[in-house]
Amino acid sequence: MTGFALWQRQILTIVSLEWKKTLFAKRGLWVYALAFLPALLFGINAIRVQNQRDAQMEIQRAAPNAAAVTAAIQTGMSVDDVTRKLVDDKVPFTKFKRRKKFEFVRYSDGTNTWELMFVEGKLTEKRNRDEARLSDSIRAFAGAFQYFFLRLAVFFGCVGIFMNLFRGEMLDQSLHHYLLAPVKREVLMVGKYLAGLVATIAIFCTSAALQFALMLGAHSSREVNEYLAGEGWAHLVSYLGVTALGCVGYGSIFLAAGIIMKNPLIPATGILFWEGMNWFLPTMLKQLSIIYYLQALCPVVAPLSGDIPEPLKLLATTAAPIAAPIAVMGVFAAAGMVLTFASIYVRKLEINYGAD
Amino acid sequence: MATNEEIVFDNVSRFYGEVLGVNRVNLSIPPGITSLVGPNGSGKTTLMNLMTGLVRATRGSISVRGIRPDESEKLFRILGYCTQFDSFPRGYTGFQFVHASLMLQGWDAKVAEAKAWQAIEKVNLVEPAKRKVAAYSKGMRQRIRLAQAIAHQPQVLILDEPLNGLDPLVRSETIALFREQAERGAHVIVSSHVLHEVDMISDQVILLANGYVVAEGAIRGVREEISDRPHQIVIRCDKPSEMASKIFQFDHVVEARIHPDFQGILVKTTNSSQFHKLLNRLVMEGINIETIAPADDGVNSLYEYLIGDEGAQK
Repeated sequence: MTGFALWQRQILTIVSLEWKKTLFAKRGLWVYALAFLPALLFGINAIRVQNQRDAQMEIQRAAPNAAAVTAAIQTGMSVDDVTRKLVDDKVPFTKFKRRKKFEFVRYSDGTNTWELMFVEGKLTEKRNRDEARLSDSIRAFAGAFQYFFLRLAVFFGCVGIFMNLFRGEMLDQSLHHYLLAPVKREVLMVGKYLAGLVATIAIFCTSAALQFALMLGAHSSREVNEYLAGEGWAHLVSYLGVTALGCVGYGSIFLAAGIIMKNPLIPATGILFWEGMNWFLPTMLKQLSIIYYLQALCPVVAPLSGDIPEPLKLLATTAAPIAAPIAVMGVFAAAGMVLTFASIYVRKLEINYGAD
Repeated sequence: MATNEEIVFDNVSRFYGEVLGVNRVNLSIPPGITSLVGPNGSGKTTLMNLMTGLVRATRGSISVRGIRPDESEKLFRILGYCTQFDSFPRGYTGFQFVHASLMLQGWDAKVAEAKAWQAIEKVNLVEPAKRKVAAYSKGMRQRIRLAQAIAHQPQVLILDEPLNGLDPLVRSETIALFREQAERGAHVIVSSHVLHEVDMISDQVILLANGYVVAEGAIRGVREEISDRPHQIVIRCDKPSEMASKIFQFDHVVEARIHPDFQGILVKTTNSSQFHKLLNRLVMEGINIETIAPADDGVNSLYEYLIGDEGAQK
């Protein structure tokens, strides 16, 4: 067996030897923690929202006129009038003061949670504070996905997994076993890269799917079915695709970094800084980052982080939207270029464990 | 003239930064068992790593049976290297370790399995082969590495300190295995500190010191070339005192020491061929000689003469 058929078999062998090692490595446990932290938060939120719904059902049973009370409460009413109405109709509420002038009354009518603001005793504003709306959850998911999951979890997960493929084996003093096999160094690199992809895609796509399911789990089946019948499934597929592409892009960078550099912190910090600056870069430079292409493929626009100070928000530029096929090709092209560059180094790689 | 059957180093140097690994090495190693001998840091492992492409030459070129070390795809079809690194991929059993290397050779899984068991059998590790390598003793780890190196029946077998950690019985079995490989025409290149074993197993030696090759060739041939040290010969005979008095008349005999049991004599001579002729005369004159044996053509003596006392070990 020679040529391409041999390479193919060798790559399959490397993937089969590596993926389990990568997926079940003890030192990779923190990657799981990072990957599944958002799922845990969405899970906790689902329980919270479910409890809120249960409480609302209870109110519907105990105060069947609560919805009518909400309709009857109008701006200009006094605090006493409003609280009397709520007491008469057995609607539980909380009342609190802020700076003498402001008073607030919060209650649920069994469908929505309301916050009433009184200025000098008169109702001036009636806010719907319902946190259990699906549309809000979808936006929250988009924000968590883009700001935490892609930029931090997938990013650092790829640092942990891909940098270890070569550097980890150097530290374990076991890389020579591969270098003493009749395998082209480039074939070895591709095999290891694919094994890393199998592991990271398995971990992060599972996490993304779980987060999505937990995000929907907080809502009524009617809302969820409507969403899924509309664009829900397409959103899920997009999120999974973007996650996988994130692994393709960041994976190639950190695999190369693991071959070229000894200390993972230097490339990780540098690239994190570059990717984090993406909002503020001119369009030309935006295109030199992975996150640019990934965000372009996200199905829901994430709200700009509230943590960014207002003056800096002015600096944040939005690049012209790019077509999905171009974004996908962009990530693959970037990964291809990085791996080609890494192949120059992998050919020259020497075993000098003492120095590592 | 080098052929494609030899391992050739042509003016090879390797530096680690400013530290010398090996310098200006010129060698043509024929098939058979060749031992690399030298103290720690003399460049034995560097020479082996250079042959296998694990490190690259700073200068010069290397050819292993006509293949450059950077042609890994070709080289490791004919070469097996049992390194000194005592580490294994995590979680592997002995069998998986050997099997994986054969799979990387491109063998079909079933063929690889059969070849793996054959190699494991050769190193007598069948029973523990299904256990994790992490639970192996040092000797077992050494043997499973050897199994991996020979599993594809390489034409060149490179073994870095392969007898370390082996008990005497396994040692002799392993040495027999080296001979078997050499007898089928393979290069077997062994580095060792245990000089009496090198004496036993080697067809030729390469003596290294401080990154330089100080001597190479068959052990006796190397000894013959060292003219500034008298040859030592042990003779077992019935009249050692008479023999001593007779041989002292010759200039090339510089020392004669009678053995404490009065049944033999140790002679130091600057001309061994003249001395052997002299022995024939002594026999004619009635001295009964039982055995004649050189006392300093072992690697240990070569070591002492060429490298100094610090290198020589028992």
